[in-house]
Amino acid sequence: MLTISNLHAETAGKAILKGLSLTINAGEIHAIMGPNGAGKSTLGYTLAGRPGYEVTDGSVTFLGEDLLEKAPHERAAAGLFLGFQYPVEIPGVSNVQFLRTALNAQRRLRGQAELSGGEFLKVARAQADALGLNMDMLKRPVNVGFSGGEKKRNEMVQMGIIDPRLAILDETDSGLDIDALRTVGDGINRIMRAPDKAVLLITHYQRLLDYVKPDFVHVLADGRIVRSGGAELALELEREGYAETVREQAA
Amino acid sequence: MSSPAILGLPSPRDEAWRWSDLSALPALAEASPTGGVIDTSGFWLNLGGPRLLFVDGRLDAGLSDPGPITCGATGVASAHALARLATGDGWALRLGADHAAAGPVEIVHVATGGASHLPALIELADDAQASVVETFVGDGWANRLLSIRLGRSARLMRSARLLQASGFVSLRDEAELAEGASLIATVLGAGGQGTRIDAAVTLAAPGAFAEYGGALLARDDQRHDAAVAVRHAAPNGTSRQLWRAVADDRAAASIAARVEVARDAQKTDGEQSLRGLLLRRTATINLKPELEIFADDVKCAHGATVGELDARALFYLESRGLPPAQAKALLTRAFVADALGRIGEEAVREAFAADAEAWLEATL
Ligand SMILES: Nc1ncnc2c1ncn2[C@@H]1O[C@H](COP(=O)(O)OP(=O)(O)OP(=O)(O)O)[C@@H](O)[C@H]1O
Ligand SMILES: [Mg+2]
Repeated sequence: MLTISNLHAETAGKAILKGLSLTINAGEIHAIMGPNGAGKSTLGYTLAGRPGYEVTDGSVTFLGEDLLEKAPHERAAAGLFLGFQYPVEIPGVSNVQFLRTALNAQRRLRGQAELSGGEFLKVARAQADALGLNMDMLKRPVNVGFSGGEKKRNEMVQMGIIDPRLAILDETDSGLDIDALRTVGDGINRIMRAPDKAVLLITHYQRLLDYVKPDFVHVLADGRIVRSGGAELALELEREGYAETVREQAA
Repeated sequence: MSSPAILGLPSPRDEAWRWSDLSALPALAEASPTGGVIDTSGFWLNLGGPRLLFVDGRLDAGLSDPGPITCGATGVASAHALARLATGDGWALRLGADHAAAGPVEIVHVATGGASHLPALIELADDAQASVVETFVGDGWANRLLSIRLGRSARLMRSARLLQASGFVSLRDEAELAEGASLIATVLGAGGQGTRIDAAVTLAAPGAFAEYGGALLARDDQRHDAAVAVRHAAPNGTSRQLWRAVADDRAAASIAARVEVARDAQKTDGEQSLRGLLLRRTATINLKPELEIFADDVKCAHGATVGELDARALFYLESRGLPPAQAKALLTRAFVADALGRIGEEAVREAFAADAEAWLEATL
């Protein structure tokens, strides 16, 4: 589904990703862990096409197409979803208005029929209910006045409505209380665990992985994947930290 | 209506006119209207109230239903540099105490080239209320003077949308509010014409309320320019000036908003919120909030900021599938919404929002 080969990327003139390779197949859930500043969010932004993140080498293929030549909205329409580490507040634009416009723009680009206001509200309500977000909050401006946890939950509601093929979730678990963590974990499984979908979870903690069991765990350090393993790797890292892994790599 | 000579137009050296571009006016004043037919059907909101159609400043009686509005000499005059030209016949809405017009008054001004100078009067006696919506379309120079006199607790909602394809629209409003009277004025500058909006609003007696604001959307080489002065002459008055300016290409949108609080206008509550949005760095926005306060117990808040669309918000929207133009339009619409949200009637508010939307679609 997603093939990243030797990806080099820089931002503000600083090289951050330095030859990152990773393959994700349909039906798989991958987790990426790694020290602060390693380049995890940079990977998400680069894949989603954020301006200011420049690819200097390497390639990315998504569902058989060159991902890097597409504009951000085309990547979304192709099925890529980025859950933001820091969701953005947008005063004056309601969630409902934003998401309906977004979903219909994607559908148009894919040649599908647009959803009417009523059809959209039905979908939105179902997702909001499943993730325990009050429908009134969806009528409020995007993320404005939302708590940290509510913002993350809102990211998952958006994912549910948009129904992507590949979700890159950047620290969706941070800032969640214990119950919300379970709700969000259930949401990820419900929305994304399917033979034709895949997930890349960026996380610092094992907790989320108790709910969303990864098939593969990778360690990203200094712009590269330095170690990969199964679900047990996350447990080992939680016990022993990154020092050993990163040192071995440097040696 | 004769076309008065355009002598002594203010120059940009005049502080109050420094951001204006009046250079097109002499030629427009000399030109004759083509008298061409412009289809106005799309500009009526059909609100069920009185309606007037002015073509090049002349009433088209056949297409009008003036209700309580009279056309002819108004007795209104002004020394204002442009409005002084509006001397001939005009229209007047005079409502007696406790009266209300049957639904909002709609006035459509069509210009077919050339210039028209039209005075008008809205005089509401105590407790009377009215809503007047003016729409400017076509080409040429529409120059207007509106004198507003509100009696005790009278209420006026005045909305104007400037949608000419080209040319110039100049508005001059001079308003005086008696005790507890309320004026809510909203102007939308869209379309392709140059614009000068002038207003002098006086809260002459205690407890009056005045809002004067709107949205100016400028593109290409357009100039929109508003200069509004609100004067609190009596205690316990409230005023709001909320303006949003958007400029693209090489256009300039300028707003000078002034609040004057006289010595005995204690407990005045004045607020100015001026915000500009540059869609391109080649565009210009000038904001000038001014306060002149002689009373000591007043609350006056003012803010003036100019910015660009938030790059993080744009990317967030695009990452969810919005094409760049739609993402910009969504953020710009949100930026402008506050300024048009003061309009009371839903149908009018929605029509103004739709005009802003059409502007965004054509621009972005
Ligand atoms: N705009 C920028 N200008 C300069 N440096 C930047 C910029 N954006 C990111 N960086 C740097 O790039 C590096 C990688 O940042 P990134 O956000 O990808 O890390 P991360 O792995 O997601 O960290 P965390 O676990 O703290 O979220 C950091 O050193 C960061 O300071
Ligand atoms: Mg990060």
